[in-house]
Amino acid sequence: MPTPFYQKIDQALSDSNLQAALDANAERRINARVTAFTSLTEDLSILRQRAHNVRLNTIEHLDYYLATFRKKALENGFIIHHATNGDEAIRIILEIARENQAQLIAKSKSMVSEEIELNKALENAGIKVVETDLGEYIVQIRGEAPAHIITPAVHLRRADVAKTFHELLGIPYTEDVADLTKAARQVLRQVFLDADIGISGVNFGVAESGLICVLTNEGNGRMVTTLPKVHIALMGIERLVPTMEDLSLMLSLLPRSATGQKITVYTSLIRAPRQSTEIDGSLERHIILIDNGRSAMRQSPLSEALLCIRCGACLNACPVFREIGGHAYVSRNGVHTPYPGPIGSVVSTPLFGYHEFGHLARASSLCGACREACPVDINLPDLLLRIRAGKVSNEKAEKPNPPEILKWGLKGFAFVASHAHLFNLAQKGMRLLTSMISPNSQWLRIPAWTGWGYGKDFPRPATQTFQDIWKKQSPQINHTASINPTTKTISHLDDPSEKLDNKNAHPTPPADLIHQFSRELTALGGVVHICQPEALASEIESYLDPELNILYLSQQAHQELRSLLGEVWLEKHARQYTKINPDLPSIMTTAVAACAETGSLLICSHPESPLTASLLPATHFVILHQDQIVPTLSDLLHHPRIQEASSSVLISGPSRTADIEMTLTIGVHGPAQLVVFLLVNNQ
Amino acid sequence: MTKKIQLFITCLIDTLYPQVGIDVVEVLQRAGVEVACPAGQTCCGQPAFNAGLRQEAKTIAQHTIAVFEKTEGDVVIPSGSCCAMIRNHYGELFEDDPAWKARAENFAQRCYEFSEYLVDILNITELESSYSGKITYHPSCHLLRELGVNKQPLKLLEMVKGAELVPLPNAEECCGFGGVFSVEHPQLSNAFLERKLANIEASGADIVVACDAGCITNINGGFSHRLQPTKAVHLAQILNQHNPPSE
Repeated sequence: MPTPFYQKIDQALSDSNLQAALDANAERRINARVTAFTSLTEDLSILRQRAHNVRLNTIEHLDYYLATFRKKALENGFIIHHATNGDEAIRIILEIARENQAQLIAKSKSMVSEEIELNKALENAGIKVVETDLGEYIVQIRGEAPAHIITPAVHLRRADVAKTFHELLGIPYTEDVADLTKAARQVLRQVFLDADIGISGVNFGVAESGLICVLTNEGNGRMVTTLPKVHIALMGIERLVPTMEDLSLMLSLLPRSATGQKITVYTSLIRAPRQSTEIDGSLERHIILIDNGRSAMRQSPLSEALLCIRCGACLNACPVFREIGGHAYVSRNGVHTPYPGPIGSVVSTPLFGYHEFGHLARASSLCGACREACPVDINLPDLLLRIRAGKVSNEKAEKPNPPEILKWGLKGFAFVASHAHLFNLAQKGMRLLTSMISPNSQWLRIPAWTGWGYGKDFPRPATQTFQDIWKKQSPQINHTASINPTTKTISHLDDPSEKLDNKNAHPTPPADLIHQFSRELTALGGVVHICQPEALASEIESYLDPELNILYLSQQAHQELRSLLGEVWLEKHARQYTKINPDLPSIMTTAVAACAETGSLLICSHPESPLTASLLPATHFVILHQDQIVPTLSDLLHHPRIQEASSSVLISGPSRTADIEMTLTIGVHGPAQLVVFLLVNNQ
Repeated sequence: MTKKIQLFITCLIDTLYPQVGIDVVEVLQRAGVEVACPAGQTCCGQPAFNAGLRQEAKTIAQHTIAVFEKTEGDVVIPSGSCCAMIRNHYGELFEDDPAWKARAENFAQRCYEFSEYLVDILNITELESSYSGKITYHPSCHLLRELGVNKQPLKLLEMVKGAELVPLPNAEECCGFGGVFSVEHPQLSNAFLERKLANIEASGADIVVACDAGCITNINGGFSHRLQPTKAVHLAQILNQHNPPSE
């Protein structure tokens, strides 16, 4: 009787729908990742090494960075909890829910919540919880678990989603991805508005600032951390970086590795609860630091796995994941792990047990594609090998876990291979045996149960081993026709990989920042109007509904336009956005700064610039001045306002998703249109 | 002075492909080095190591180290994964045994993979090899990713007169061998292999060259099982295709 894992492998391999979905994922994601890295201005191998060192240093001194983070976050107004395991985390969350009489929780993606099985616990307590990431929402309503840490619905094709939405949401059957996305948007928009609590994960906590960074493309991460009055952030204790500079480094690698994007659409930087003068943002913010086996993992031979930044690149690169998908990674008893793929085959052992999940580490050809794809250079093949050897804890060595027959076979082989004469005898014996089985053919058809015979023939050993030949005839092998080795060093002619290196572009001179910004944001689906102040009024008016002819503005944008266009124009066209209103089609805001490298706008919360103004409308207008543009993402992340505002966000294009069959759809939860009026100085 | 190297032929070539061993020797000799092949050599221990049986891997590694300790000079290995085993894993294998660790590391420093040795150490820039036909190259995973040997085999193949080198689609995908993986997870191994075989077909090449007998056995075993002609050869077999000088 095959184990549940082997059964899952067989099922996956014979599921043509799944195979098509997984092939499409692998091909698109691998290509997208490779393309995304060509836009880096620095050498990837150097960045990767730096990122590895940053993460390694963080994990090695985790106590220190955790203490720093806690202290800063407390000062900022977060409520900090520490949970040693999943049960404790759930108890804390239920307690917060009870205090707030919560009935509905809106949740954005959090792998640690999958790990502690939070949804089940909330539902058991009578609290409705809704996943708001599109892919996660699809699998939730289907009663499934996510099949990938970044792309939860990777196992589904559009027809599957169409059927699910038709049956469960009652919409007419459609395979149009934009329509399917719109249907989910409508349901989830109400959830965001009604939810008592928003729960999010944390991509990075920044120790020196006590802020948390949450990345989403759809905008659901911004919604759940902004609209509900209580926000709970679930954070594995290892999810830290020391400084904003380190965050910048991680942000240059994570989206590229995960989805092939230079930057995620929304990079939320949450520093504090809403201030009394602000009109939006959660009033109460909790961070639950979850250990759940991580401290023990830190003290184990598998500690390097804690460097992981959960990008999912190793899943996309892995030929095993490509064959079986995330749902096949199951325990001895058939319980699936939330962490599939190479990193999952490693961390499932320290998190959930060697006896339960140790066999996953054996399902790898050790090809190393995972390590190659890893942006923080985790030596995943080595970690898999350690698990196979039972080296999973410093305290207690476990037994290696090969199947019995293989174990005894290899024990015999080891004995033979450490005695040369026995080895030679075995070679002869094998030759004799195989020539009896297959006297005529060089290739032996052997039974499928041997493993090898499942899809391959085996070559018959040669009549003489090389060493036999060598012993007898080594003088004859000696050749006279020797070619003279040249001593000069090799010239690197026609080396394709070197040609690729040329794409390391030079930094753009400051004069070009405007155009670089415009080009980058346009590539992300944003619209940029470069205009001189005189032309601004007509540019804006061209967007206004001809009947209503009015524009909603944040107070800051209002002030800005007053100086640019005057009181008369404002009275005719402008209304101020002063309280949360989800029904406005468009709102204009200012931006604190922007960066040319990624085409990102920095927006910081302020009593006169509420966050919902850039989140709720279908169209978000931004008024920006050329001197607000800084060259790099790092420059933008070092903007002092981030350390003052209760929440900030980098916006890089309209909201988007590719959760259904990797089909890019613009406009999910956040604005579908982002229009920037970029004011340039009169020459 | 002629350079003398020690050949670690590896268990698969020794047992299954002695002719490849001869080609390896002849190419090295044509490159001007003297070849020795220490008696008593067996296996590097990789199968046991990859299975998780480190104690057994140690026993084999100790034997191999002892065999080569009696010799001097560079050790050339015509297999990427065996060379990677020694260079990248022998140290960890003996992490609790400082004396053996030192011996293992000493040995590891002497080891080179065949194509790496020809290109990086012997600086070969021309070969009197010729082959007429289309060749494609499968970069074996451990050679490529553990040893970082990516260009050397291609450089050598470019020196083969008459050979047309064509690209292998998705060349860097694993062929599905993976040592013990191929018998523990035959379904997965076979699924990788299917893709590799299809890509070899798609390349239009007559033969596919690799630098690891494991991949060659896997790919050819797959072709044979599907009743198709085998196409995988070792790099040395192509490099040793040449017209011997007239007497």
